[in-house]
Amino acid sequence: MTDHSETAVLGDKPATAAAGAPVITEEDLVEGSSLWKDAWSRLKKNKLAVGSLAVFIFICLFCVVGPFLSPYDANAQDLFAGAEGPSADHWFGTDTLGRDLMVRVMEGGRISLLVGLVATVVALAIGVIYGATAGYVGGKVDASMMRFVDLLYALPFTIFVILLMVAFGRSMWLMFVAIGCVEWLSMARIVRSGVISLKKQEFVEAAVSLGYSHRRIIIRHLIPNVLGPVIVISTLTVPAVMLLEAFLSFLGLGVQPPNASWGVLINEGQANMEIYPWLLLFPAGFFAVTLFCLNFIGDGLRDALDPKSAKD
Amino acid sequence: MNTLVGNPQEDFLVIDDVKTHFDLGSKFLTRESKGVVKAVDGVSLTIRKGEILGLVGESGCGKSTLSRTIMQLLRPTSGRIWLKGRELTALSDKQIRSERINFQMIFQDPYASLNPRMTVLDTLAEAVRTRHPELKGDELRARVAQLLRTVGLNPFQMKRYPHEFSGGQRQRVAIARALAPEPELIIADEPVSALDVSIQSQILNLLKKLTSELGLTMIFISHDLSVVRYISDRIAVMYLGKIVELGDAEAVVDHPLHIYTKALMSAIPEPDPVSERSRTRIVLEGDPPSPMAPPDGCKFWPRSPVEHDERMRHEEPPFEEHVPGHWVSKCPFCVQETQAG
Repeated sequence: MTDHSETAVLGDKPATAAAGAPVITEEDLVEGSSLWKDAWSRLKKNKLAVGSLAVFIFICLFCVVGPFLSPYDANAQDLFAGAEGPSADHWFGTDTLGRDLMVRVMEGGRISLLVGLVATVVALAIGVIYGATAGYVGGKVDASMMRFVDLLYALPFTIFVILLMVAFGRSMWLMFVAIGCVEWLSMARIVRSGVISLKKQEFVEAAVSLGYSHRRIIIRHLIPNVLGPVIVISTLTVPAVMLLEAFLSFLGLGVQPPNASWGVLINEGQANMEIYPWLLLFPAGFFAVTLFCLNFIGDGLRDALDPKSAKD
Repeated sequence: MNTLVGNPQEDFLVIDDVKTHFDLGSKFLTRESKGVVKAVDGVSLTIRKGEILGLVGESGCGKSTLSRTIMQLLRPTSGRIWLKGRELTALSDKQIRSERINFQMIFQDPYASLNPRMTVLDTLAEAVRTRHPELKGDELRARVAQLLRTVGLNPFQMKRYPHEFSGGQRQRVAIARALAPEPELIIADEPVSALDVSIQSQILNLLKKLTSELGLTMIFISHDLSVVRYISDRIAVMYLGKIVELGDAEAVVDHPLHIYTKALMSAIPEPDPVSERSRTRIVLEGDPPSPMAPPDGCKFWPRSPVEHDERMRHEEPPFEEHVPGHWVSKCPFCVQETQAG
């Protein structure tokens, strides 16, 4: 590097070479606006998404905090108060066993939202790691990893879950595993395709030619750039998972009574739909609104994170 | 220089008969080969310290593959490359990684070559620390500021993201990133072809200034001869994975020997409308043959306006020094004395 130290513009000792230059402090710098910030400001302009977010947060608070404020216990039966319509005492009415429906909707919401969240996080963790590895390594490793995904895709989900339930007994945790096992597949495919298309981009080539380690390239250069679609898919996975849970609970394979989930409540409600319609309407209403909100948030995020794909 | 392949221990960059082929694999059932793309098919070059070598050719002739092979982003199928006496082609992937700070690349598309999620400061700081891992905080920032000034950008903008800059500014950031590890060799792969014409000359002048001020050596790749003519000390003309002509920039531009080079030169528009009207063009017919199935013999015969005889359709012409320092693929039909000059 002898030739370099003789040049005035870029010295070999950067500290001394820079001594003549004015010191640049943090405050002087023009703050840039990152793509995340831009996305947030675009999302804020999307009224439907912001409204959905507000409603969704309200529902979450209602379900999480609500049971503490309510005078009733979700499983406390009061056979004399059985199956009454909404009243001042019981805002959502009571079910056939005299349990307060509002508390049961809250408790059911807790479980439904928990399933949605946990299964999505499980799917996210497995999917991102698996997909990023397959896409980055490529070649035969990629091919065999993705054939395995195809194999799992081909398994009929319902039969798979029923077999699991029969083999291991009914448990909520098993249901998380079963749903997680299905949902990470699409996540892995999306992350893999994202990583493959990014890998050919020149900034990744530049990172390779600067001699960065594989770890650094994956963590600093690849994953932050696939995070956009991953976030969108996650928001859309949550309602899909909740729907699966409701479906399983509806079939009697999911959450078991007396525990409630929205799926369980809807199942109970439809049994008495003609006589006690509120038993179906309240849980189904909450469930539907939550799914709508999550889908609108997901759509809004997609448009915000990738403005090119926006419809208008 | 009297030999094409110089002395690896003395010369700055020596490329000896490098071939980079891509095997397309074999068909699923028959195991029959789908073919091999011979993107770079036997290139030898010696590059002197401090010079700018322009590499020209049509798209698909192997320019970019050659540059990525020199960068060791692609490993050659055969052949050897030495940089300052170190044989790059003999190093393992791990060893190459620590060697990479000595040679850097400027990419074609400034919109794709910067990580959109990182500020200019992050991008440059990361690159600076490849050579100076001990730098941090104010010192690191001062160094990044210095780099930005070197490429003519306002250092106070360093906290901004790539999408907040114009194409020309982004290319300056990319140049700063290539300079950050203090390399001695820079390969610029069509660094101006994605830019506006008005910005092109600024970037060209910047590259020219930096090479002389920092004592860099540069391989400048372009399909645009007028750009290469302006910046290069020597020019190499590539066709179908091989170099067909190599010499000092003036010699190649003013006295091209190979008919392919002449055709390329005749395609440069003249700024003066009078001479533009009298410009005679050598028009080549058809596309270059596929590098999967290159023709035998003189690779240029299927497109040459001069009919080749049977021998030159099968026998590869030698790459010889025609006049001192001026090399050409010596096919008697492509290189004709009467037309030279």
